Amino acid sequence: MSANEGRGSSVTGFAESRPNRARAVALVAGQGPAVGLIVLIAATWTVFGAINGSFVSSFNLYGIGQLAARDAVLGLAQAALVVMGRMNLALGSVGAICVSLLGYMLVSAHISLPLTLLAVAAAGVIASVIMGVVELKTGLSSFIVTLAFLSAYGGGALLVSRGDNFQITTPALSSLGSGTFLSAAICPLVVVALICAVIVWVIYSRTSFGWKSLAVGANERAARASGVNVAAVLLGAYALSGLLAAVAAVAESSYELSVNANVGSDWLLPSFVAVVLGGVTLTGGDITIGGILLAAVFFDSLQSGLTILNVSSYWLNLAEGLVLLVAVIIDQLRRSRRGPGRRGWRGRDERPAAAAEVTRV
Amino acid sequence: MSGLLRARWLPLLAATILLGIVMGAVTRSFGTAFNVYVIFQTAALDAVIGLSQMVVLAAGDLSLAVGGLAAMATIIIGDLFQVHHWPAALAVLAGLALTTAGGFANGVIIAGTRLSGFIVTLATGTAFTGVAYGISASAAYSDIPASIVKLSQGRSSFFPYLMVLALLVTVGMYAGLRWLPGGRLILAFGGNRDATMLSGLSSRRAQITAHTVSGLLAGVAAVMYMGTIGTATPAAGSDWLIISFAVPIIGGTALAGGEASAFGTLVAAVVLSAISDALIVLNVNTNAVEMAEGLLILAAVLASRLGEAAQRQAGRRGVLGRRA
Repeated sequence: MSANEGRGSSVTGFAESRPNRARAVALVAGQGPAVGLIVLIAATWTVFGAINGSFVSSFNLYGIGQLAARDAVLGLAQAALVVMGRMNLALGSVGAICVSLLGYMLVSAHISLPLTLLAVAAAGVIASVIMGVVELKTGLSSFIVTLAFLSAYGGGALLVSRGDNFQITTPALSSLGSGTFLSAAICPLVVVALICAVIVWVIYSRTSFGWKSLAVGANERAARASGVNVAAVLLGAYALSGLLAAVAAVAESSYELSVNANVGSDWLLPSFVAVVLGGVTLTGGDITIGGILLAAVFFDSLQSGLTILNVSSYWLNLAEGLVLLVAVIIDQLRRSRRGPGRRGWRGRDERPAAAAEVTRV
Repeated sequence: MSGLLRARWLPLLAATILLGIVMGAVTRSFGTAFNVYVIFQTAALDAVIGLSQMVVLAAGDLSLAVGGLAAMATIIIGDLFQVHHWPAALAVLAGLALTTAGGFANGVIIAGTRLSGFIVTLATGTAFTGVAYGISASAAYSDIPASIVKLSQGRSSFFPYLMVLALLVTVGMYAGLRWLPGGRLILAFGGNRDATMLSGLSSRRAQITAHTVSGLLAGVAAVMYMGTIGTATPAAGSDWLIISFAVPIIGGTALAGGEASAFGTLVAAVVLSAISDALIVLNVNTNAVEMAEGLLILAAVLASRLGEAAQRQAGRRGVLGRRA
């Protein structure tokens, strides 16, 4: 953290002396991962499509979109805290709570869908905000707080739901996850993910909450010194993360159709793959929404391609791990080549000048 | 300072003994030799899992790959022994060598790229698990060396032989961190990275050593687990993430690095094992145990933070005291 702060002040010096060049560099750097990912996706589709034509069949593309939609939402949920220099290990357990509640209300208690969705969203937000409150009250790192709640919420959801399976039969919900939109190749969940992405984009580029959130991630002390209410912003970020976890829980329920509180146990990896592959800095301060969406598409295209090539599903874990490993290493090399002074394209370069003055003192 | 060190985990031990006495008086099955054996057997395994995480925490890093490494070791040993008919000792050695190499690779990648241990071990841990599932095609090997089973399930009345192994590893970790140059380096690096580098010590070596030892211990834990359940399954280690952090943290190891308590880790493993056994004897759902574990982690970290604050106020905190 101290190293980052030192770097932060030197960045500002750079930006002040050569603002246009800094901005140009920042712009290109911001597009970097997106361009790379588009090339990767195109290459994946061409190669897998050439080897086996069924890869580009509408059936297969539908499946990729279905999974990528969930993974993109998971990436956005993780990013809400990563941009603040935090992380959310309990994403899956919050999802487990949401799925259990959804199953109970919809299947066991026969409550209407809109009311259920509202309650599920509220549950996701509340469960997540509680973690934020604990982080604030205890001053512990988000890692340890969310690790503890990963266990507490996961166990709690299984305990309360008794591990019951819920068969989702609500037509409106199942048509969301298994119906089609415009063409037979597009799952309606893709639209849901895109709407989430647009909302998150608006939040981080147009609202004061989003800007403050990025400022805290870039340099928490500076943000605090320039009058940002870090506590309020942090609770907001946890709320956003919880809301998106609830969306992902509903999305997964809408295509799995038989769900229990174990949903979410495998969310940690895709959420970080989308964030890291998408080009979001893990120490906070920037967000690349397009990158997150594309990363999810690439990740699920690769998995689907390997499955179509008859690679045994047992080896998929290895592929997933290696993709993430290669991605983080390439990302790190890319960043270090750009030079430590030009790291991060929004939070650090466009920080309020007043904040930078305080850091220098 | 050794008095302070002891004070850390003595209350934990006292609480466990109290819990044992109360449970033994209230229920008929808790105090039986067999049940105490089960508690210690689980504790022995959890202690080694916790020590595997502790050594990385001491260096101010963390590893999400402990479970993945264990899955890989389990399957390699199972495969070499059952399919390729290697002698048991050789198969186990190969498994341990592989996890040590895996831990070494983690250290090299983290030190070389300066990425956080979190993201690197999230990736490699998934990859290691993938190797286990890939080789085994998700099936378990039922034929495992009899010597491992004897070691893991053997007991003298209430005392499992496995606990001897756990004690040896604990003493080894305590001595290693206290007296070996590598151990001192890990603690120095975890305590203050900048100071370590400025004094001309190799930060790369500290990280690589910590992760390599962690890999070796993950392999040892895998062998213990394999013998305990009697099969080599790729699911080994899949639920070790929380326990690997809970045990050292409850035992008094600081998340920030620079501090480690090997004996505290062992005691914490006994405490957690006794609590979950008590809950099971009382017919409480096992999911409640998982819930309790999470809350215990929080409570333990908070308690250690309060303890530190009190120490600081008393002004008794020396430079070396932190590293005891």
